[in-house]
Amino acid sequence: MKPLIDLRNVSKTYWLGETEVKAVSGISLPIYRQEYLSILGASGSGKSTLMYLIGLLEIPSRGKISFNGRDVSKLADAKLSHLRNGSIGFVFQQFNLINKFTVLENVILPTRYSKTRLKFNPKNKARQLLKDFGILDRQDFFPNKISGGQQQRVAIARALIMNPAVLLADEPTGNLDSKTGPEILRLIESLRKKFKTTIIMVTHEKEVANRADKKIYIKDGRLVKKYL
Amino acid sequence: MKPDTLSDIFTTAIASFKRNKIRTVLTSLGITIGVMSVVLLIGLGVGLKNYLSDQFESLGSNLVIVFPGNVFSDEGGLGGGFGPGFAGGATFDEKDYLNLKKIPQADYVVPQFFRSLPVTANGESQLGYVEGVTADAFKILNLSQAYGQAFEATDVNRKTKVAVLGFAIAEKLFSSPEKAVGKTIITGNQRLKVIGVNAKKGDREMDNIVLLPYTTTFGRLNPNKTFFTIFFGVNDEANIASVINQAEKILAKRYDEDSFSVTEQTEILSTVNQVFGIVNAILVAIGSISLLVGGIGIMNIMYATVTERTKEVGIRRAIGATRQDILSQFLSESVVLSVLGGLIGLALASLIILVIRQFFPAAINLLSVVIAFSVSTAIGVFFGVFPAKRAANLPPIEAIRYE
Repeated sequence: MKPLIDLRNVSKTYWLGETEVKAVSGISLPIYRQEYLSILGASGSGKSTLMYLIGLLEIPSRGKISFNGRDVSKLADAKLSHLRNGSIGFVFQQFNLINKFTVLENVILPTRYSKTRLKFNPKNKARQLLKDFGILDRQDFFPNKISGGQQQRVAIARALIMNPAVLLADEPTGNLDSKTGPEILRLIESLRKKFKTTIIMVTHEKEVANRADKKIYIKDGRLVKKYL
Repeated sequence: MKPDTLSDIFTTAIASFKRNKIRTVLTSLGITIGVMSVVLLIGLGVGLKNYLSDQFESLGSNLVIVFPGNVFSDEGGLGGGFGPGFAGGATFDEKDYLNLKKIPQADYVVPQFFRSLPVTANGESQLGYVEGVTADAFKILNLSQAYGQAFEATDVNRKTKVAVLGFAIAEKLFSSPEKAVGKTIITGNQRLKVIGVNAKKGDREMDNIVLLPYTTTFGRLNPNKTFFTIFFGVNDEANIASVINQAEKILAKRYDEDSFSVTEQTEILSTVNQVFGIVNAILVAIGSISLLVGGIGIMNIMYATVTERTKEVGIRRAIGATRQDILSQFLSESVVLSVLGGLIGLALASLIILVIRQFFPAAINLLSVVIAFSVSTAIGVFFGVFPAKRAANLPPIEAIRYE
């Protein structure tokens, strides 16, 4: 089976003034369709950079990233954004909803950046997702008027509206209480079957990471243990 | 972004202004004032120019005018200045008139003495444009009488104390113009009998005119017996150059060449146009300074907005917005902001022009509207493009982490 996303010896370096910071160095990692992968690491380990590389928000300094067999490491911004729009869904620790938009407007926002003809009605689909997640009655609320768990559900709905192949979740429970956190985790995990989505979970919590089929541990920008 | 989302962009822009009403209004204010002043200045300039052009055109064609001073230099520019008795200007008298009258190609020659004076009758007093002329003036000025009649050449010869009034001044002095005929008016200590009232011209100066035989002014009104200008009606357009030439020769015998000018009406018109072109350009340049300041205001606010919305930019980038999408979003906001200001400025200027129109010839024309629109759009683009570029070039990851 061919990997959906294939990282080959990928490095990412930043320049902080005169000093070169190696956020990710020499990581090779194949990610397969409908896989549930977790990336475990302490803060500053480079796990977020790795996630952004996988999520096509960053291009590697060295090495190669393939998406669906196509080399995407040197794609121009427009094509990369396009691919991100149609194939990647992000869920963040801070929810990252746009506060001046209502819940419904937040969910349909990605459809506005689609360069291809949509095969669905954005509003209908958004409402269906909100209904599935039990928050349809919040569709006209602004994000700061609903609870954290509800906000994260909205963020997940937004991540799913374009039917992405991959859902990238960056510490999705980090801002939630002990009751809501597991609910959100279960919701994310359920998407794999329901939407045939590949799930990549970035976390610093072992218990969260352990729920995945496959986990990698990253330290100082390098893979420490593979496929535990 | 798909073209059908263009309206989306503007809806978003307007929605974001609604959340920042005061800021939006204050930011647009610079453009509002700028566009308002430019439109207003153009309106006043164009209005004044049209007014003067109309004045000269109403005089009729094939007209040659003798002015004191070197008003119109050879290059067609403005040499000296207007008005009687200015430095170095000749003062014409009856002798000049009689000499000029000998030019064969001139159908009629009209000397003009002019003063603006209070005119009283019935205890009422009104400012009138008192002009001492010959009977031919009625032909040159295309004046017909609504009531009574014009004076004739014999009145000029006999120094008859008669006057023909403009419609408006007759109306103001005698409540209804037909009542003026046969009554007496007093101006500059001179009693005059009204023998006619001109038909309405719709022109302030013409409708407040008081015409009398120039010979009658030779006394209390015009003790020095001088004229400000002398008009010629030339029988054929082809003879205009020859008449100018002859008149110049005749006048050069008595006056210094630089102390008088002989010009045809079209030349005056082109000079008026030229002068107002320059005046207008200067006024617009001054108005443009406020547009520049307004544009800088927009730029300033747009930079602040970009910083404020850094995280939003990061989020949008993460969900698939291209750099171009972000650029369009911020650019459209600054354009909408600027055009909004421009339209308000245009509306205010139109209102002001409507009001001052009653006192001053001001006009709002298509040019003003086009300028208001295109300039404010251009300002929105020009001053919005740098902040928008900054937003578009924000690294997505740093943007998304921005708090």
